[in-house]
Amino acid sequence: MRVEYINPFVEAAFNVLREVLQSDVKRGELYLKSTSMPVMGVAAIVGLAGDVEGRVLFDMDRPTALKIASAMNQEELKDFDDLVKATITELANMITAQAVTKLHDLGFRFDLTPPAIFTGENMEVSNADVEALIVPMETGHGKIEINVAIRERA
Amino acid sequence: MTAQTEREAKPEVAGPAGKAEKVDFKMVTFSLAGKEYGVDIMSVKEIAKASRFTYVPNASTFVRGVYNLRGDIISVIDLRIFFHLPAERKEDEALESLIILKIDEHVFGVIVDAIDKVVGIASSSIQPPHPIFGDINVKYIKGIIENGGKLYIILDVEKIFAPERAEEAPKPGTLEARGPATGIAAADTEGTSGGDISASFVKETLAAFRGFHVTSLNETWFRSRFAEWKNERKDADLQLREESEADAFLEGFWSPCTGTLWDEGYAAEVEKALPPIEAKSINVWNPGCGKGYETWSLACVMRKRYPDARIKIWANDSDLLAISMAPNMVFPESIPDYYIPFTTKGRNGLVFIQAVRDSIFFEFHDVMNGNTLPPLDLVLCRDMLSFVAPIDQRRLMGDFIDKLKPKGMALCGANERLGEGWSAAATGAVAAFRKDQ
Repeated sequence: MRVEYINPFVEAAFNVLREVLQSDVKRGELYLKSTSMPVMGVAAIVGLAGDVEGRVLFDMDRPTALKIASAMNQEELKDFDDLVKATITELANMITAQAVTKLHDLGFRFDLTPPAIFTGENMEVSNADVEALIVPMETGHGKIEINVAIRERA
Repeated sequence: MTAQTEREAKPEVAGPAGKAEKVDFKMVTFSLAGKEYGVDIMSVKEIAKASRFTYVPNASTFVRGVYNLRGDIISVIDLRIFFHLPAERKEDEALESLIILKIDEHVFGVIVDAIDKVVGIASSSIQPPHPIFGDINVKYIKGIIENGGKLYIILDVEKIFAPERAEEAPKPGTLEARGPATGIAAADTEGTSGGDISASFVKETLAAFRGFHVTSLNETWFRSRFAEWKNERKDADLQLREESEADAFLEGFWSPCTGTLWDEGYAAEVEKALPPIEAKSINVWNPGCGKGYETWSLACVMRKRYPDARIKIWANDSDLLAISMAPNMVFPESIPDYYIPFTTKGRNGLVFIQAVRDSIFFEFHDVMNGNTLPPLDLVLCRDMLSFVAPIDQRRLMGDFIDKLKPKGMALCGANERLGEGWSAAATGAVAAFRKDQ
């Protein structure tokens, strides 16, 4: 992945999470991965198109998703209902949009697809030949992994 | 009926014995970049003319898209791009010649320049592939046949379109039989016969301390360095006890100007070693670029060598800290005069001009995770292969061969030698190798 793309995503994730959760957020060590990877339980995905193609995946487990949605809505949510899903989707949208805005300022043109959310047990994402950058984020409510796979259109 | 369709109806008989031989193999013939090819008619479902394929994102470059063949969705592969042959880009509306292949249960469309006719031959007269025919990797060729004064190259479509994983999976037998393993084995026997096992211990410690693997790639250097090492150490222990000793051993290994901009002399040598390229756009791959000094140097050298071409360099490294700094390199102090024309004054010192910046993509990327690159003209990979495990070395070198265009060139480290499949184009400070045809 191009070096220029890395920081905008890391910064956007950091800023947005800290703002919406009103709590401290820690960034883990970045790394690359290409094998199929397990999804913790809730995954929101946003597609990218334009000069580049790829996707950004936000991965977390159910309790984390519930706590984050509760914090964002400022009420205690107990069931994994539509409101929770919509909230997580929105979070994915906010982070990706902010990253894309930053990239736009640097002269890279991206378009976004509307986010989609997947939930379930024992899920796995695999596209073997795509290398993804993993940005782990430790929030007070649990861990979110941001999985960015972007490549230049040949 | 034209002469040609008449022939089509009556398959020709070929082979040295002429009509006496039995026709037991029919092939559909077509042309790619001016050469004639054939595929076994048993794997051809039909032929068609089509256009306006639906683009598929995230697919390999040779996949033109998908096509709706009377209700069945098939993927369409451009054979010319697959084999790195020149392909003229037709307009969106223009019809392309399509051979529809059926292999096992899979149906593919394959774009070729022109489809010719059906030719019947005797399978006994097929001759094994010869390297001189090769714009195409020999592993995809079933054989060669002469018919009616023309030479046809028979492609092994099953091999081409077999699931890639099966093909790339390392075959245990071959890996052990050839390649880096032989390098080690040969060195070992030599070491023992010379009454010297220390060499193999040194090799092991180099791998353990610094991840430096001695294989056929750097065997020559290792031997001479080891002899030197013996001299330096006299009777002292030859073994490397700690990392600093491993570093001392490797001191002379590094290519000139590692970790800095290339000096004038080296830059001029590289410029001289670069092959003449007439293409309008030149693609370069620079794996293991580290902090990016060599990439910037190469970009400048290439702009000088090919002033009119559009140059694109994909530079990657898996060290996030090193590569993060690469795109925004600033030089507060003076730099070699060679680079002055390619720089401009920035706020904090000299920076490269936009045209040079635009030619480089710095990527945080691990080359072991698969590489998606367009066909390449040049690979610059200095002193990086020696630091990956032998099995990965072979994989990467295979990648170089697959990705390079015919006549493509690789520049490796000053003390590295690419073996099988390559011929040396320049040695010395700049080690250049040309891909064998």
